[in-house]
Amino acid sequence: MQNLQKNNASEKEKPDLKGTFVSVMILGILIVVSWIGAFALFLSR
Amino acid sequence: MIMHLHKYEKIWLIFGIGSLIVFLVVLGYGAFWQGTHPQSHGVTIDPNNIESNEAFKPENLGLTKVSDDKYIVNIAASAFFYDFGKDEEGKTVNHIRIPKGSTVLFQVATKDVVHGFHVAGTNVNMMVEPGYVSSLETVMDKPGTYTVVCNEYCGLGHHLMYATVEVYE
Repeated sequence: MQNLQKNNASEKEKPDLKGTFVSVMILGILIVVSWIGAFALFLSR
Repeated sequence: MIMHLHKYEKIWLIFGIGSLIVFLVVLGYGAFWQGTHPQSHGVTIDPNNIESNEAFKPENLGLTKVSDDKYIVNIAASAFFYDFGKDEEGKTVNHIRIPKGSTVLFQVATKDVVHGFHVAGTNVNMMVEPGYVSSLETVMDKPGTYTVVCNEYCGLGHHLMYATVEVYE
């Protein structure tokens, strides 16, 4: 029974992560940009 | 166990861990090579008797010229007043003038509650806690008049607590 389940899992199609990827990157870039902004403000003052 | 990571997962993990490494390197560089540290770095003082510390004796308060372009400013904070000492005429000082490009060491201590010391528009922004001396050295290289404000709520007169620092050419 367990073997059967494992086989089924590996035969599954790869999940479509395109939307996740785009949202993760948008969030990541926002964080990086705001951090750079605060750091630039610190350096310029 | 062989781990299968989705191609996209690999990309965002590299991005995330890479950002973390860059951040930690910047932080470490600032802390260990440039000596950046919290403004109150363990220098203690008796809050009931700050005059016992040389820097906060009444005659040593305010602006002192150390050398050509080096200054020390000692301030005793209390509700709701920054004590910059007195001028030659015996008047209370609430405005100090510093030539552009000077290296200025601000040293602040409080006699009562927690106060803030923020020279608005600069990086001089400290919390002043009873029992500790807060200090920060900076180069004042932008001319202008800066307002010193208390940004830690210290009581009813909190908004009346201010002074001015003028950087002139």
